[in-house]
Amino acid sequence: MDDDKNTKVFEKLTQAVITGDCAMAEEGANDVLNKGIPPYDAVINGLAEGMKVVGEKYEKKEYFLPEMLLSADAMYAGLNILTPHIKSEDKQKGKVILGVVEGDIHDIGKNIVKTMLTVAGYEVIDLGKDVPVAEFIEKAKSEGAKVIAMSTLMTPTLMSMKAVEEKLKDERLKGKVKTIIGGSAVSETWRANIGSDAFGADAMEAVDKIKALVSSITAAAEALKQEEKKTTDEK
Amino acid sequence: MKNSEIEIVFQPYGSRSKYPSGTIIMVAAKTLGVDISSLCAGNGTCGKCKIRIQRGTEGISSPTEKELKHLSQKELKAGFRLACQTKLRSSATIFVPERSRVGKQRLQTEGLNVPVKPSPLVTKHYLEITPPTLHNVRSDEDGLLDTLRIKHGLDNLRVDYETAKTLPIKLRKAEWNVTAVVSEKRIIDIEHGDTSERCFGFAVDIGSTKLAGFLMNLNTGHVVAVAARMNPQISLGEDVLSRISHVMMHGLNALRELHEAVVSSINEMIAECCEKANVGTGEIYELNFVGNTAMQMLFLEIWPQYTALSPYPPVLRRGIDVEAAQLGLTSHPRANAHYVPVIGGFVGSDSVADLMAIDMLNSEEIVMDIDIGTNTEIAVGNKDSILIVSCASGPAFEGMEIKHGMRAATGAIERISVDPDSLETHYRTIEDAPPVGICGSGLVEAPAELLKAGIINMTGRFNKEMAKKTDRVRTTPEGWLEYVIASKEESATDSDITITQADIRELQKAKAAIRAGAEVLLRRMKLTKDDITTLYVAGAFGNYIDAESARTIGLYPELPLDHIKFVGNTAGTGSRMCLISKQMREYAERISENVRYYELAVDPDFQSEYIKASFLPHQDMSRQPFVTELLKRHGRVP
Repeated sequence: MDDDKNTKVFEKLTQAVITGDCAMAEEGANDVLNKGIPPYDAVINGLAEGMKVVGEKYEKKEYFLPEMLLSADAMYAGLNILTPHIKSEDKQKGKVILGVVEGDIHDIGKNIVKTMLTVAGYEVIDLGKDVPVAEFIEKAKSEGAKVIAMSTLMTPTLMSMKAVEEKLKDERLKGKVKTIIGGSAVSETWRANIGSDAFGADAMEAVDKIKALVSSITAAAEALKQEEKKTTDEK
Repeated sequence: MKNSEIEIVFQPYGSRSKYPSGTIIMVAAKTLGVDISSLCAGNGTCGKCKIRIQRGTEGISSPTEKELKHLSQKELKAGFRLACQTKLRSSATIFVPERSRVGKQRLQTEGLNVPVKPSPLVTKHYLEITPPTLHNVRSDEDGLLDTLRIKHGLDNLRVDYETAKTLPIKLRKAEWNVTAVVSEKRIIDIEHGDTSERCFGFAVDIGSTKLAGFLMNLNTGHVVAVAARMNPQISLGEDVLSRISHVMMHGLNALRELHEAVVSSINEMIAECCEKANVGTGEIYELNFVGNTAMQMLFLEIWPQYTALSPYPPVLRRGIDVEAAQLGLTSHPRANAHYVPVIGGFVGSDSVADLMAIDMLNSEEIVMDIDIGTNTEIAVGNKDSILIVSCASGPAFEGMEIKHGMRAATGAIERISVDPDSLETHYRTIEDAPPVGICGSGLVEAPAELLKAGIINMTGRFNKEMAKKTDRVRTTPEGWLEYVIASKEESATDSDITITQADIRELQKAKAAIRAGAEVLLRRMKLTKDDITTLYVAGAFGNYIDAESARTIGLYPELPLDHIKFVGNTAGTGSRMCLISKQMREYAERISENVRYYELAVDPDFQSEYIKASFLPHQDMSRQPFVTELLKRHGRVP
């Protein structure tokens, strides 16, 4: 059975990521190519599945940075082999603008989110750290991205997140472009205060919330299309 | 009928008083001198002020969101609440459980004692002045200055305007036998008779959580009295950044409020010391302050916003002199207050004091200095070149964010050992009191001991298998594993004292920040750990850490234990040195000018070093030959 064979390989990749075993990840990735399994499926059902488990363990404090590091290494070991073989149309789930807000330069947390998003199939436009307020919005416009993800470690720079929200409103983009905030200094209370669309308490939650934001945007766009179609039909 | 007054009784003390309806329990406790422990000064974030409402449950406010975070359903049912969050609208009896009582705090006021020859900025000189006569008419000023020049060899002095106002009266009342108070070429006062023996100064260490004050005899350079307080600014923000945010959001009034809060506590310490030593506050002529850069700004009422934003520039770098009265300090009306220079936005005069205490600017040998705190500063180098970094290590080692964490006070577990065979534990508490929680030194030892015993592995994860071998390893209601250090029966609280998986993670974060900072700094200076001849560890709890345990968890680069020296809280030492010695003030300026700051967050290696350093002791075991040996002996590594 094809499915059975695939499942076994996927499981190998998943286990390799969970245990942080680079050799096993490489072996699994080569199995994928040798057996003619679609590499994109292997990334999603194998490697990404492993990172999902890692993320869950991270949330339960069972895993922490050391384990994340080992797992990420294993994931990249597999990814490096598989990526060249993935068809480009398979890649995109959506674009996310990501950065540490103006005034802050602490980006380790942001980089973890970037890894998690990448493996989950998003195209991440990483603006780096100390990103000016306007740059978030300009990039979202020029890239046609629908999600802006902002992070900060420090409380004084929380105000920069508020500035981005305000600029979005000024430019009448609020609602069309969704925002998510995260980082040590950020809380659900602050999200409500500035009217951001989501708050991710950790990297795993950030990815889940971004998924939800993207699907809500897609749904809204669908609905709009239906609406337009209806109006055209009525005409 | 509206009941506007209620009675609150605190047990086991039996203290009671009447309060307006709606009084917060913590506020009532304070008025009665009932000390309930609190790390966050009433913000509801530390969860340390749990009390039980024994009677009068009908009139209590419903639990706030913050309370729900810290109290389990079981605790709520049993009547437990947070004292700082709960308002009472009817009379009640409150029980303060042992773990929420404040024991005698080990506020570390003493640091390294560096002998410094006094050369104070303020000196007193007893004068017998010849009065003017018709044959020799000279001004009161000339009479004063001539005598100071001829008898005391003091040239180029000038009389302060304020001194001049009453000079003629004071001279004549004292029949021309007076004492001149000279501060940096200025005569700031004239006193009746000979008071030259009574010349005092006050040195302060302004920590973000603790204040320490030292009343000193400026003639001898000796400390005559010591006082300590918690920094009251905590109630307006737990850490320096949230205090700055508070100012940014609420403006100049908030800045003034923070300034006044710390000044009033300093005045309390001055009053306490003066009373202890039988000194008048008017006999304090010079004050000296040391603290981080945020404390400098908030104490001096300087707008702090831009220092908190990248690239984090300080407003003032040099030392500054201000009239003490202008700051609202209780001392001689013309006393001067000096704030020691800083190095950068996140490297303050507390770091300058550190480097001064270990005389780093004159060191031939390469040394490293680590000052552990919420922000940890690390300096490395010698007389030729010194580089310093600041690491956001967080407050885990101070007991914050740790389930059973506490400050070093009575009943705090400060030593822990775990038998690798039986997996049983031995611990020692401060003053051998029944255990209440775990303080910093215990929080360094616990992961080291658990690692050696194989209860946690090098990634910091609890080994599930160990739960089968000992009851001490078990699952918490949150679903993670923990190790029981002291059972409910032994402890002074009504729960077991444990260290949880989440605690280990917090400690890993803190130690990774420190270790990564040290590694990046060494690389930046093109040095290796083997170049370091002495590693100085400073900081509030520095003195009490076990050097080997700290090395086992990889807190600092691995060195032979005899290369490691604990110097305690050097900020206080530095403040005292700068109070009694002009040369030391100049030395501080030279440190500020010559020590270069390096921004860790822009270093390309910092992130990977941080992640590697989050392992216990480190991912790269080739940097840990001693610990590798140690773990081998315990059968933890092949």
